[in-house]
Amino acid sequence: MKKTLTINLGGTVYHIDEDAYRLLDNYLTNLRVHFRREEGAEEIVHDMELRISELFTDRLNVSRQVVTIEDVEEIIGRMGKPEDLSGDETGEAFEERRQTGTTMRRLFRDPDDKILGGVASGLAAYMGWDVTWIRIILLVLGCFVHGVILAYIIAWIIVPLAHTAPEKLAMKGAAVNVENIGKTVTDGFEKVNDYMRSDRPRNMLQRIGDGIVSVAGFLIKFLLVLLAVCLAPVLFILLFVLFVLLMVATGLIAALPAVFYEVIPLSCWQTVGVAPTPTIALAVAGILVIGIPVIGMIHLLMRHFGGWQPMSFMTKIIFTLLWFIALGTGLFFILSDPNIASMISYSL
Amino acid sequence: MNVDNVRSQMRKGMLEYCILLLLHKEPSYASDIIQRLKEARLIVVEGTLYPLLTRLKNDDLLSYEWVESTQGPPRKYYSLTPQGETFLCGLEAAWMELTNTVNHLKNN
Repeated sequence: MKKTLTINLGGTVYHIDEDAYRLLDNYLTNLRVHFRREEGAEEIVHDMELRISELFTDRLNVSRQVVTIEDVEEIIGRMGKPEDLSGDETGEAFEERRQTGTTMRRLFRDPDDKILGGVASGLAAYMGWDVTWIRIILLVLGCFVHGVILAYIIAWIIVPLAHTAPEKLAMKGAAVNVENIGKTVTDGFEKVNDYMRSDRPRNMLQRIGDGIVSVAGFLIKFLLVLLAVCLAPVLFILLFVLFVLLMVATGLIAALPAVFYEVIPLSCWQTVGVAPTPTIALAVAGILVIGIPVIGMIHLLMRHFGGWQPMSFMTKIIFTLLWFIALGTGLFFILSDPNIASMISYSL
Repeated sequence: MNVDNVRSQMRKGMLEYCILLLLHKEPSYASDIIQRLKEARLIVVEGTLYPLLTRLKNDDLLSYEWVESTQGPPRKYYSLTPQGETFLCGLEAAWMELTNTVNHLKNN
């Protein structure tokens, strides 16, 4: 049994197996990438889609209603992989471009070679260093320098995972060009991983190192999961308490002037935060400063145990920025309040 | 440098000429052209044709119109424009010259 999808190809509806769909989608994406410099690239790909649609129609009949991966493979063989369609370039120019075609490396997390989050392997690919050394350095640093573990976790959250073949190639830097992507992907999406894995043979020492690190990684993961499972009820209670505290804090901040007025009616009321702007700003900043980490924690929990989608990169950036802005604003208003300032200078 | 390489480049050079020749006889749509070119063993993979057709069309040598098909999606029927006809004449002359040169060199 296989799951099928419904696609619209050149205006005709087809039922297609999920794996066949992924292969076809990869193929069409690669064609777009291949023809991107050509004038009328969309038109070329559209015409090819029409042709593929026609070939599908030829193959299907009453007793055979679903497009399978064999169909797609055969059609790709018939239409030609992107590297076979070099246009009117001569072989030499083609070779030349293949060799000189480099792109900026980008930092990704490597999903094919990871122990925890794939940060180290992504970093290794980005720097062009060996991943084993990066891991050793990270481990040693992590034991002695505070903040390395935190930095790792932040990197884990912020650095995106290399999902697609172009991203994986961009991660490796040197090997990025259309022909590579085409080769990587149209040969079948499973082989993407093989290709990325098999490019560097590993020696004995590296393999022992990898073994130790993966055992350590497994243990750490196991402990984390165990901790999370044990602490899940506690965490939920903590979250609930945090939420209640948040509400109370909001209420207090809003009611602060009144409370102050009740408690110390003699102080100089022009200067305390009776003015609405600082009060509201402080309340909003307080909610954000406490609320964003709470949202983050809830999201993290739900992602691991509730199967939520990970946040997009932009969302993370926006939340982080927002948190810092809120913190800054809060501190600014607190410090610029003359009463608090005088209190601080008094206590000093 | 090997024979296959040179042969494929010769074919590539001829491909546009042959497409224009086919379309000079009668307007046809991509799959017809593919069929004919495959019979003549001029192309191996079908995808080669589409960028060529689009380029020829963008150079105003070809034009096309949509024709509804009884089976499958509507088809683009390509035909030569007047510029295309002139261009074809030019290619014809070039081809004659080429074959003459080769024959001349062979016979002497």
